[in-house]
Amino acid sequence: MTKVKICGLKEEQHVKAAERADAIGFVFAPSKRQVTIEQATELAKHIPVDTDKIGVFVNASLEQIEDAIARVPLTMVQLHGDEPDELVGAIQVPVIQAFSIRTKEDADQLKKSIADYVLVDAPGTDYRGGSGKVFDWSLLDGADIDPSRLIVAGGLKPENVHAAIMQTTPYMVDVSSGVETDGRKDTAKIQEFIKQVKDDSMEQTIEKVGFFGKYGGQFVPETLMKAVKELEDAYNEVKEDPEFQKEYHHYLSEYVGREQPLTFAQRMTESLGGPKIYLKREDLNHTGAHKVNNAIGQALLAMRMGKRKIVAETGAGQHGVATATICALFDLECVIFMGEEDIKRQQLNVFRMKLLGARVESVTKGSATLKDAVNEALRYWVSNVEDTHYLIGSALGPHPFPTMVRDFQSVIGEETKRQILEKEGRLPDAILACVGGGSNAIGMFYPFIKDKDVQLIGVEAAGQGVDTDRHAATLTKGTEGVLHGAMMKLLQDDAGQVQEAHSISAGLDYPGIGPEHAYLADIGRVEYRSITDKEALDAVISMSRLEGIIPALESAHAIAEAEKQAKTMTADQILVICVSGRGDKDMATYAEKLEGLS
Amino acid sequence: MKRLEQLKNSGNKAFVAYIMAGDGGLDRLKEQVQYLQGAGVTAIEIGIPFSDPVADGPTIEAAGNRALKHGVTLQKVLEEMKSWTFQVEIPLLVMTYLNPVLKFGVERFASECSKAGVSAVIIPDLPYEHKELVQPHIDKEGIKLIQLVTLTTTDVRLADILSGAEGFVYAVTVKGITGSRDEMSEDVKAFMRKVREKSPVPVYAGFGISKSSHVDMLRDDVDGFIVGSAIVEAFNDNRIQEIEPLISAVTATHSV
Repeated sequence: MTKVKICGLKEEQHVKAAERADAIGFVFAPSKRQVTIEQATELAKHIPVDTDKIGVFVNASLEQIEDAIARVPLTMVQLHGDEPDELVGAIQVPVIQAFSIRTKEDADQLKKSIADYVLVDAPGTDYRGGSGKVFDWSLLDGADIDPSRLIVAGGLKPENVHAAIMQTTPYMVDVSSGVETDGRKDTAKIQEFIKQVKDDSMEQTIEKVGFFGKYGGQFVPETLMKAVKELEDAYNEVKEDPEFQKEYHHYLSEYVGREQPLTFAQRMTESLGGPKIYLKREDLNHTGAHKVNNAIGQALLAMRMGKRKIVAETGAGQHGVATATICALFDLECVIFMGEEDIKRQQLNVFRMKLLGARVESVTKGSATLKDAVNEALRYWVSNVEDTHYLIGSALGPHPFPTMVRDFQSVIGEETKRQILEKEGRLPDAILACVGGGSNAIGMFYPFIKDKDVQLIGVEAAGQGVDTDRHAATLTKGTEGVLHGAMMKLLQDDAGQVQEAHSISAGLDYPGIGPEHAYLADIGRVEYRSITDKEALDAVISMSRLEGIIPALESAHAIAEAEKQAKTMTADQILVICVSGRGDKDMATYAEKLEGLS
Repeated sequence: MKRLEQLKNSGNKAFVAYIMAGDGGLDRLKEQVQYLQGAGVTAIEIGIPFSDPVADGPTIEAAGNRALKHGVTLQKVLEEMKSWTFQVEIPLLVMTYLNPVLKFGVERFASECSKAGVSAVIIPDLPYEHKELVQPHIDKEGIKLIQLVTLTTTDVRLADILSGAEGFVYAVTVKGITGSRDEMSEDVKAFMRKVREKSPVPVYAGFGISKSSHVDMLRDDVDGFIVGSAIVEAFNDNRIQEIEPLISAVTATHSV
């Protein structure tokens, strides 16, 4: 679908009116629409996180451009002067190079640009940067320009944008004066222009729904499409339904025991000598981890859809236990697929699931861990789709799963935000959470995504080290690919075969990462780091002895990275760690790996 | 692929054989294709092994794992096919999951398939909604993208999918994954009739066809059959001759 850029915005109300646009342009060059970096920074706070923020420059220096990129911050740069290729090449974000087109020869110039995108415009009059005159689109015919890097501007308005798209099939259309009245932006025209492009696009490219940037989608066999679409509809319905939300929160408080404290970790704070450290206590949930938040939400949804059979996968067993628990509570039939390797590592959780009445199926295929358990659960779902709901445990899988799991886990971040404001009167400086598929992390981060001053750090499992072949650091080492129904980042070989992940923690032992995390990594909103098996075990000991909290191995990854992060911070700062689960399930591993501990 | 249209018009049924490329080593692929061609199949689907084949049952998954152990990749299969000098007289299709294609590069996949003599591709985890990821590239090479429809496909979706169908339509006869079954449910017949009525191209039944009785039951409602697990198993057990009666049961000219 053709994207929309609204350019030359100076007022907050117009930025808000352009909420559905894909990109917002700030003009830093002399123009009646010029803004300062400070003004742009203020305006940028009102722009949705997945919208590109583009700075427009004319013959500025690299220093000036880089300064604006860092401060606003900008996600793209648009150049309207005579910038040399060296400058274009030196800019770290994607670059749009603009060309004034009068003749066929001008159109030929476009092809030589080394920029990521080329913008075509009618020649300027008083100022560089476009004049709003109508550009003869037919000049592009036969110029052989790749439409996927073409941005069309110049005289576009709501009435003619459709024709421009038909003729040039560009990547993006760019409008400025076409959505103004008497030289000032016009809210109604902005909205109408976006509507014309979005609702009237004839291009049948990938639907934007269900994607986070390029990640996500519904890459499942046709047999599952009906179920996935039904789930999408059902979820959209309950999302807005106050009755459903009331029921969900009722079980969170009465059954799970929410809200969970945000505990000030006094001894850990003193020991590290840096920021004040708070712990979000998901370990205190009934069943011992954050997984139950999602299990309740999805089980209630399944029952609304008339499905009383549940299939789920589990890695560490926490999601399996949460699912088995909720199925017992609601009298639902429950089948859990679990890798043979994980069954060995998590005997106690296997027994808990059985005790709760679930059937645990051992998966011996592949690496016999979480990835293979997801495969088997998906196959089971394919074969039993009419009466069975797949209760996926992480922010993975085809749309709507990643969105739905995120929403059900967002209670973590919402509580944290409220609690830290009560305790400290301000938001934290940094938040850390471990990432396997990424459900506790996305639930913790999501309510803070728009709070740009809060640094968000996801911590992956480095296993025996990211430079060995035994790790699960998908964002550090992975590449784009499709697995389990979504485009995401994957550990894979050159032939596109998914590789085995490794982590001492069964819950992080997954070769992919939820699509929203892949997107947040790309746009730089969340930083992803990794912690080795050994570092995680050390953090288990320190947390146990300093705070009297024995964390799950997964959570210990976040704690280990927090110890490093704290050393870069000062006493007037605040750091929050999501303690996603307690260590009871890992006692056998701790006893074995920490043998001889004194 | 025009031949499939002609076959349909003549009233005879198509037999599409699925084999897993590189099961038993990539050097076996050539002899398997030659054998099936000689045995009278209408077309051959060449499966590319994948680490996470969620649409396949245990038989094909196991075959894929054996092929992966032999180091078989999409690239190697296409290279192998390009090297063939014997006369290929029937359409060859490639069936692969999406990820190996994305890693290989969609554009490159299309051009290499063309060089390897591939007429059509089937990508089971690429639903209709996302087909534009692949379609424009293979269109350029004149290669068809085969669409799947299933018992769970809603009528609205079915109409959409069929309106853009090319080559043939792969109609999934069971709700589950690939693999041999003992029974064929009765509503399958009704489904096949519905699809065939609306489809602009031939409709072939697949997923779970392993016996002559399946063929007899659906013969009047489809234009052909796709047989996978039964053939993969037979090749693996070195008893492919046992499949010949099934091939004849399908392709023999029937007088009604």
